[in-house]
Amino acid sequence: MEGLFFNVNSGYVEGIVRGYRNSLLTGQHYNNLTQCETIDDVKLQLAPAYGDFLAALPPNPSTSALAGKMTDKLVAEFRYVLTQATGSTARFLEYLTYGYMIDNIALLITGTLHERDTRELLERCHPLGWFETLPVLCVATNIEELYNSVLIETPLAGYFKGSLSHQDLDELNIEIVRNTLYKNYLEDFYQFVNTHPDFKGTPTQEVMSELLEFEADRRAINITLNSFGTELSKQERRKLYPEFGKLYPEGSLMLSRADDLESVSLAVSISADYKAFFDAVGLTQGAGFGGGADGKSLEDMFYQKEMEMSKVVFTRQFTPAVVYAWMRLKEQEIRNVTWIAECIAQHQKERIGNFISVF
Amino acid sequence: MSGAVPEITRRIDEAKQKMGRVMQIAAFSLAEVSYAVGGDIGYQIQESAKQARFRVRAKQDNVSGVLLPHFESYTEEGINDFGLTGLGKGGQQVQRSRETYARAVETLVELASLQTAFVILDEVIKVVNRRVNAIEHVIIPRTENTIKYIMSELDEVDREEFYRLKKVSNKKQRDIAAADAEMEARRAAAQEKEGQKALEPEKEAPDAPDVLGEQEDADVIF
Amino acid sequence: MGLVYPAGAATVSLLVIGGYMLFHGDGEQFNVGQFLESVSPYAWANIGIAMCIGLSVVGAAWGIFLTGSSIVGGGVKAPRIRTKNLISIIFCEVVAIYGVIMAIVFSSKLNLVGDDEIFSGSNQYTGYALFWGGITVGMCNLICGISVGINGSSAALADAADGSLFVKILVIEIFSSVLGLFGLIIGLLVTQKANEFK
Repeated sequence: MEGLFFNVNSGYVEGIVRGYRNSLLTGQHYNNLTQCETIDDVKLQLAPAYGDFLAALPPNPSTSALAGKMTDKLVAEFRYVLTQATGSTARFLEYLTYGYMIDNIALLITGTLHERDTRELLERCHPLGWFETLPVLCVATNIEELYNSVLIETPLAGYFKGSLSHQDLDELNIEIVRNTLYKNYLEDFYQFVNTHPDFKGTPTQEVMSELLEFEADRRAINITLNSFGTELSKQERRKLYPEFGKLYPEGSLMLSRADDLESVSLAVSISADYKAFFDAVGLTQGAGFGGGADGKSLEDMFYQKEMEMSKVVFTRQFTPAVVYAWMRLKEQEIRNVTWIAECIAQHQKERIGNFISVF
Repeated sequence: MSGAVPEITRRIDEAKQKMGRVMQIAAFSLAEVSYAVGGDIGYQIQESAKQARFRVRAKQDNVSGVLLPHFESYTEEGINDFGLTGLGKGGQQVQRSRETYARAVETLVELASLQTAFVILDEVIKVVNRRVNAIEHVIIPRTENTIKYIMSELDEVDREEFYRLKKVSNKKQRDIAAADAEMEARRAAAQEKEGQKALEPEKEAPDAPDVLGEQEDADVIF
Repeated sequence: MGLVYPAGAATVSLLVIGGYMLFHGDGEQFNVGQFLESVSPYAWANIGIAMCIGLSVVGAAWGIFLTGSSIVGGGVKAPRIRTKNLISIIFCEVVAIYGVIMAIVFSSKLNLVGDDEIFSGSNQYTGYALFWGGITVGMCNLICGISVGINGSSAALADAADGSLFVKILVIEIFSSVLGLFGLIIGLLVTQKANEFK
């Protein structure tokens, strides 16, 4: 039924995003990029796809400047899509920006905790996570004021309320705060795509559930792996796992009890996909984090999987999930180009092929 | 000391080459972090690092009387201020990059230690060299000139003395000859006179030293 | 959903009125046959014609906005699709033309007759034929329009992604546009035997 009404509000947005998706770099482009000798060559190769955005760069720019300009393009395109969207699609797109907002607010919390001038931090904020009242948060001089203004001014209030108090901001490690917020955000997003009348029973629900479940599982696994050898206790760790996903609840429970790689790989063996990753990376054989025979780390495998899922999303029509998929693909593309540029700049050509291209 | 310098330069060379490699790997691991995390985590790491994990201790070594500072690095294993960075994603890369950079800094400390030793030794060697040069090119020639002058003066005095002695001896010979002749004449006269005065006692001439004889003059020492 | 409350209210009021009539001994007034017979064939015929053109136009319009918004969106990054994909719009428009043609054919049966003659058997037949013919054509065209619209929207986006896909999807689009033609044929057959009002 989504085909009957989706285009009323969002046909244009979808068309544009599919246009954006068509201008993503393909395997052929990446091949050309890996042949480049200097960053200038890379810039030249990217010119058809990125056009004006790279023109302002000086000759032989740094890789971070290059990545910055590419992000600018993503931001400009997303903002355009956001302004064109109405109704539930607009709401959906806002949900996409919340993830970046969490990062920005975590940044401001860090700044306020260390009594830095948070206005300087505004420039470092991710532009996609920018919202009109963000500068208001800079007025806060202590963490309690900041907490109150976050509650009043930001769309993230719901994620703070009930799970974090202003004492928590003071006492907990910022990473724990960030991951708690992200957990709440993912759960809220999942709830949104599953219950909103415009999305219920549409490809959006189907596709986004799958993507968000993957994201939730990935976070749970990553948090578990990264918390080994840190002061994060198992109870605290458990609170950071999103409460949905393929691993929830049995896998999450097993993850929360895990304290070495073996038990993690046992916990994820519920899902054949993740088990395959762990087998491929060789964690079960105790090869360590370094990655398997082909130099792929677990992180790479997850990215690869996410990209493939995102690519498949484009086989569905009449859903704003394509925007989500496009953003993920675009971000991966920026990472890929940065990686290639970095390899070229540092003359480390042997690992240049370590990027993920799905087109 | 001169043995230590080539040794140090060799080690500096090694350390520099190692630094090149290590820094390259470290920079690359940073690229991996930015690939995995996908964002800027610099600020967060700066803010969350409160205590130094990597520390340097300074010692003094004594090389041929020169005090050389020597830096030793060690890590405080207990301190891990940003252990949770990248908890959601990229944490493994962050930790790996940290380890790589710790190794790079280790190399840097080693290099710094060597470089400082090198600079100090270089300074010391330069001072010693200056001293050697001053002695070799200024003090020794001056002393040698003095010696030469003194020698020539001595020779001069020697020659003068010789000449004078010669003159003296010539004069003496002449005097002796004259005295002999007089004595002959007198003896002749006396013999004539003997007849007149037979018992007149004969007077010996004073015994003059034989200058040209085997007996040498004692050296004149001033 | 927004339609739950009106539908509920309609059902409840219908039940209340029906129950009221039934329990007051007026149950026989709820007489479908009498209702059908007493409605004027003019009304049947004109409602049929209105449904025919109206539903067709709704179908065409629906299809056009489905296709159009996708063409506009896809055309931003791939301007080459805009002319080619007008054919999808035309397919939708054709649906409205079917409706217009059928409405004209139907309305040619209309004729002014006297008060008594209008309820003759032939005229009753014409009224029902036009009504159901109109509904058939209208509904077919509505569904056809939506179908062509969704197909056209996909065709536009597929064309934007890969130009070689356009013709393939156009074939499918033709199949859905034929659906309207089926309705048109049946509508013609249904009203063929109906005489003018006389």
